[in-house]
Amino acid sequence: MTTLVRSANPTNKPTGLPLAIPISIVLNIITIIVSSLLSLKIFRLDEFYALGNSVQYFVGVIAFLPAIAAASAIFLLLLKNPNGRFLSLALHYLGMVFASIYLLHIWGVFTGFDAIATALYENTVWMWGLVLAYALYWIAGRLEDGKPLQNRLELVGIGIGMLSLICLLFFGGILDGASSVLGKYDEARTWAATALIIIFAFGAYRMLLMGDYFGETTDQQIAWQGWLMLSPNIIGFMIFFAGPLVLSLYLSFTDSVGVKEPNFVGLDNYGKALSIEFKTQGENDRYPQDALDAGYRVLETFRIGDKTTVIGAKDAYFWISLRNTFLFCLMLIPLATIPALLLAVILNSKIPGMKIYRAAFFLPSVAAVVGIALIWRIALYSSSVGFINYSITQVTTFLNDTLGTSFKDTEIGWLSDSRYMMFSMVLMAAWQVVGFNMVLFLAGLQGIPNDLYEAAQVDGANQLNQFRFITLPQLRPTTFFVVVTTIINGLQVFNEPFVLFRGAAFPDEVRTAVLNLYLKGFQDIQFGYSSALAWMLFAIIFVVTLVQFRINRDKTA
Amino acid sequence: MFKRLFVLAILVAMLLPVLAVNAQDDITLRWRTRPDNQAEIDVYQAASDEIDAAWDGVTLQYEAGNSEGAGYSDVLVTELTAGTAPDVFWIPGADVARFAKLGLILNLNDLAASTDGFSQEDFYPQIMEQLTYSLDGSDSLWGLPRDASAFAIYYNQDLFDEAGLDYPAEGWTWEDFRTAGEEITALGGDVKGFGMSNWWGPYGYFINGAGSSFFNEDYTGCGMGNDNTVAGLETMASLYQDGLAVPWGEDPEPVFYAGNVGMYMNGRWATPGAVANVTFNWNVAELPVGPGGPSNWLFWGAYVVNAKTEHPAEAWELLQQLTSPEIQGKIAGLGANIPSRVSGSGVDDFLATFSDLGVNNQAFVNGLGYGVAENPVWAGDWTSIVAVLDSQVSAVVSGDLTAQEFADTICAQIDPFFGTEGQ
Repeated sequence: MTTLVRSANPTNKPTGLPLAIPISIVLNIITIIVSSLLSLKIFRLDEFYALGNSVQYFVGVIAFLPAIAAASAIFLLLLKNPNGRFLSLALHYLGMVFASIYLLHIWGVFTGFDAIATALYENTVWMWGLVLAYALYWIAGRLEDGKPLQNRLELVGIGIGMLSLICLLFFGGILDGASSVLGKYDEARTWAATALIIIFAFGAYRMLLMGDYFGETTDQQIAWQGWLMLSPNIIGFMIFFAGPLVLSLYLSFTDSVGVKEPNFVGLDNYGKALSIEFKTQGENDRYPQDALDAGYRVLETFRIGDKTTVIGAKDAYFWISLRNTFLFCLMLIPLATIPALLLAVILNSKIPGMKIYRAAFFLPSVAAVVGIALIWRIALYSSSVGFINYSITQVTTFLNDTLGTSFKDTEIGWLSDSRYMMFSMVLMAAWQVVGFNMVLFLAGLQGIPNDLYEAAQVDGANQLNQFRFITLPQLRPTTFFVVVTTIINGLQVFNEPFVLFRGAAFPDEVRTAVLNLYLKGFQDIQFGYSSALAWMLFAIIFVVTLVQFRINRDKTA
Repeated sequence: MFKRLFVLAILVAMLLPVLAVNAQDDITLRWRTRPDNQAEIDVYQAASDEIDAAWDGVTLQYEAGNSEGAGYSDVLVTELTAGTAPDVFWIPGADVARFAKLGLILNLNDLAASTDGFSQEDFYPQIMEQLTYSLDGSDSLWGLPRDASAFAIYYNQDLFDEAGLDYPAEGWTWEDFRTAGEEITALGGDVKGFGMSNWWGPYGYFINGAGSSFFNEDYTGCGMGNDNTVAGLETMASLYQDGLAVPWGEDPEPVFYAGNVGMYMNGRWATPGAVANVTFNWNVAELPVGPGGPSNWLFWGAYVVNAKTEHPAEAWELLQQLTSPEIQGKIAGLGANIPSRVSGSGVDDFLATFSDLGVNNQAFVNGLGYGVAENPVWAGDWTSIVAVLDSQVSAVVSGDLTAQEFADTICAQIDPFFGTEGQ
């Protein structure tokens, strides 16, 4: 690894206190002040985003931690302890990162992505220039090295690319954007954020050069460089994943509605979701609903002998959504794996043009599911104007007219008939995921040693036997991975029902677990209950995956 | 040493501006509504700019919300949770109770009482009755209605002509409606007599039109356990079970556009789309009269004030300006919205829309007159109630449940959701 450290004092001659130390101490004092004020502000808030005192105190303490760290850093720096340097480095670095995020927020970058998309969309023509530049560069790379034509092509490619980029930025409104950014500097906070970035960056840089002063070892150098590389991911993980995860676990034990201070309710949310009862429909119970206690809804009824047993649930939708989700997975696994395997076997050949087919089959996997679902919903699944029913009608008519058959043209209600709704979702999901699974199988197929097939051919094995006794066993790890990922994705199905059936009431038949918790959270505004549903779904996925790993381990042992 | 001190002084000096952060003089009000299309966004933006220009000391920031209902609501709820929601925003009528009960919106009664010239009687009384519901016995005003809307039947004149039928006329009945549906479906091919979406509005019309109601008289409990509910649902379900309607759950709009639906029930919001996309002869008529008399919904949405706004007085002023006859007239001029004021230039502007095409705008205004106001369930949890309703009505249409079974069991299922906090 290339070292980023150079000595502040190459001759190792003792000098006075290096400039980096007082700078770092000042920055640490600033950190203490900002951190303390922030913490104090959080503690003094009347309400903390309707999350309750527990979260408020927790975040208040977290906000104070940098102050403690900064105070420790000052103390250690004065003792010339290397840990003081590491601590200071980390704090200055984080100060720079958070000041940068704040500055970008002030600039409006985080709310301006629509403008970027619009600018790119309206200036697509210049992007073709980039494509052309790439093509020229690509051609140049395939010419003999050092030929004048190669150099010229590269030069022309780079020129066209640069020109296209400049035009794209210019016509996309870079000047307006720059003007807007400059306009933000009429606010003091913009200057403050910019200043903080500079001084924290400067402080971190100066401290970076203090390795020799603190007697830094090579191992320590490698360690902090590693942490530095990891830091974007770690910071993102802590802020956007770990934090919300812990928060949702906390909320699952509350009655949070998101906008009022929640009350701790223990396991009530979990209890409500899991509450079911079995009742026998009595003679005086005209309907199954009459047999249930108040607050319960009929989930299922079945007859044993003369008696009708009624299963009721406090939250029927929880059980309905679980049933639908498992059904979805069961139907999706064969439809998403078997065609993918067959396609991979077919496309695992060296016939010219195979790459085009591979790309074509993979395309649905990278297309936006919302766009795809809209096409399926309107153009394909509509029972009246959709292409699927239109095709069925044409085929039926053709057969009846030419062969004299009397097939009935069944107008299938793909999205309206409860018998087909689930299948419609599965079909669309399978169509989308087959390409991805195919690529995985292709990779698996290409990893099978050719020697095995040659040996089998010598032994007289035909194609089918080679597939059965070599390909399938060798693909076991890939198949396992494909099935596991398909199940995990299937258990989290949301987009398909949400887009295919949006705009009106979601039928019970398509209410999946994630859709259900979304509706509970954002439609019913029950964030506490919705969080509990999310954690129960997590537990289910975890257990299912664990079981699969166990089964796979047993089989491979 | 001097150099180091200089650097430190510079560093400290660069931090001084922090002290001046947020020192602003002008009041900034953010407001948001849910536009249906870019044309509405442009009108709202122009209205905002106009009000802003004439209002000293206040700067307005208009934010166009997501045009799709669920997306709009998701963003708003998230922002309210995070404390970053706009000062003034629009919500559907059915959401007003939930927002008020959760303390998300401001009671404007005191501000309204001290405002000269403001009168609740300028707006549809059915709407104001809901917007002035008191949660704690004190006088209340939860917002002002942005607009109103009602259902009508969009009918394909060409199909009516082909079937030899008279066009729907004032006072036509469910029997006439059913007959027209049968005759048009009998034309064959992919043609259906009728189409509607499967949310509570359309099926609620059949329940109301038969003389029943979702709720009891004081809206504190279920009102569907009666024979009228059975009659209404049987009438509706038979349209589907007899193959006269675009299948339940399927969006009938593209089918209507394709010329394959004789009668399509939808609100005024669908008119601009019909004008833009329909290539055959069409018009609109009032909904047919059921055994319970003329029936319709009075859909509405309201501008409300964020309970956490720092500028309630200015927000209230903005509400009044946004619901003024002038602004409502401009919005109504686009053809999708009907002013929420019972009279005035806004209504005239609305009636003049698409007049060159002969669209029967009066049918919507008439529908508003006897429409049942979209009801925010103050005494219950509307989202839970409607989830059960959706499920059970779908079961009736598919034949899994009879209309009689529905009427017998529905109240036991939804009554637990009355008397709750509506969370």
